[in-house]
Amino acid sequence: MTSLLKRIPELTLLIVGTIVIYIAMGLLSEVNDTNILSADGAWALVVGSFLMSLVIAIVAVLGGVGGGVLYTPVMLGFTSIDSLLVRSTGLVVAMFSGLVSSGPFMRKGLADIRIVFYCAIPIVIGAMLGAQVAIGMAETMGEEGDAIVRLLLGLILVFIAVMFIMGGSKNEYPKPKHVDALSKKLHLQSSYHEESLNKTIHYKAVRALPGAILFLLVGFTGGFFGLGGGWAVVPVLNLVMAVPLKVSAASSGVLLAMGNAAAIWPYIMKGALIAVFAAPWMIGQVIGGILGAHILSKINAGFVRNILIVLLLLTSIKLISRGIEGYFGIDIPII
Amino acid sequence: MKQENQNDVDYDEDDRPLVPRAGIIYGDIIYWGTIAGTFLVMIGSVVTFTTTNNFIDPAYLLSAVVDGKTVEDIWKGAEGVNQLPSGHWYLDQISTGNGLTMAGIAIGVFSVTPAIFASAFALYKDGQKLFGSIAVVAGLITIYAMMP
Repeated sequence: MTSLLKRIPELTLLIVGTIVIYIAMGLLSEVNDTNILSADGAWALVVGSFLMSLVIAIVAVLGGVGGGVLYTPVMLGFTSIDSLLVRSTGLVVAMFSGLVSSGPFMRKGLADIRIVFYCAIPIVIGAMLGAQVAIGMAETMGEEGDAIVRLLLGLILVFIAVMFIMGGSKNEYPKPKHVDALSKKLHLQSSYHEESLNKTIHYKAVRALPGAILFLLVGFTGGFFGLGGGWAVVPVLNLVMAVPLKVSAASSGVLLAMGNAAAIWPYIMKGALIAVFAAPWMIGQVIGGILGAHILSKINAGFVRNILIVLLLLTSIKLISRGIEGYFGIDIPII
Repeated sequence: MKQENQNDVDYDEDDRPLVPRAGIIYGDIIYWGTIAGTFLVMIGSVVTFTTTNNFIDPAYLLSAVVDGKTVEDIWKGAEGVNQLPSGHWYLDQISTGNGLTMAGIAIGVFSVTPAIFASAFALYKDGQKLFGSIAVVAGLITIYAMMP
């Protein structure tokens, strides 16, 4: 840890800065008590959000998913916070660890800038559409819309959990048998240095068109639910487009950051992102994103992945039950 | 020397590829833009909590969020505001805690846009006109997304 802080002075500054501001905010608070929240409660909410964001960022990096996959379902399932606010803050959670990891991944040559830009167009368009539909739905459908969002998100979580359970089919170095015409035309081929083998790996991405269509869907889902889409980007790049696993994982964060950056503007401009609530989540993601990327090799990622599967399944049960309760007006006694 | 190993993976023993300049430029702009945005968010958070210089009272905002109020109800119920914002509202409130915090988040998000264009320029210079053009289109879409 000490060597990490020495190697990345900006991380030291961020950690020290965060500790100083939260102490200052606690000691010099001018925030008043309300009927719902005391001044101390407001401070605890902010600091608690920061700590939760830090943990989510680290777990998300180790589990190989975006933070939004954990944040949005848990908040929608277990709190009464408005679903549009949860989803807009979910995009902050989903994107900032990806944003801050873009630099190191690009410098190491792990993320493929050409694949990132090619896939960015459908993912950005999908994400913007998803955000617009989410805002429109909140304005017109109210609580019924919220119930539908919870129900659909619960079902998506079950799908993601099943995908994780069957996740053994990932291919570290896919070798496509046939390169389609579009991929050939785009020259989606590159190479990277694989540290663990001390060798340069050459690869050719294929199925450029199905990949683009899937990224449009991934972008829409991410923008609509505030999930990000880390759970889907790696499988599409690796299993559909035959991009090596390491390049897929590194490109995924960069790609998501780009897609979510487009999705979040409509939320910001409509006032659906409340700064004082979102700020600790952002700070936690930035610090946790840097930390998570650096401790990745020292922790058993399989164990974290199993915890993630259990969490996703439990949250999906709660979301589906709340969705059914809200939509059909019936009471399902689940904690 | 290019070879194939038992797992049918193309690799070179001795030829380490150059990291594309466009990627380094893209990553560095975003990395430092995000960190700059985070420091601004920190300053904004302190101003929000330790002064009364706020566009909307933070106690009201946090209570309304915890209470499950909708976005519309939160803004319409805010003293002295009473309406939903539009466009980049935080720029008009940049001297307040709320405005500074939101501006910090916006800077982090915005860093993607100059990074895409700078990377597109590098791709053009390296003769990769097709991907340079794709990057420009991606950049234009992100600009469109932030238009009020």
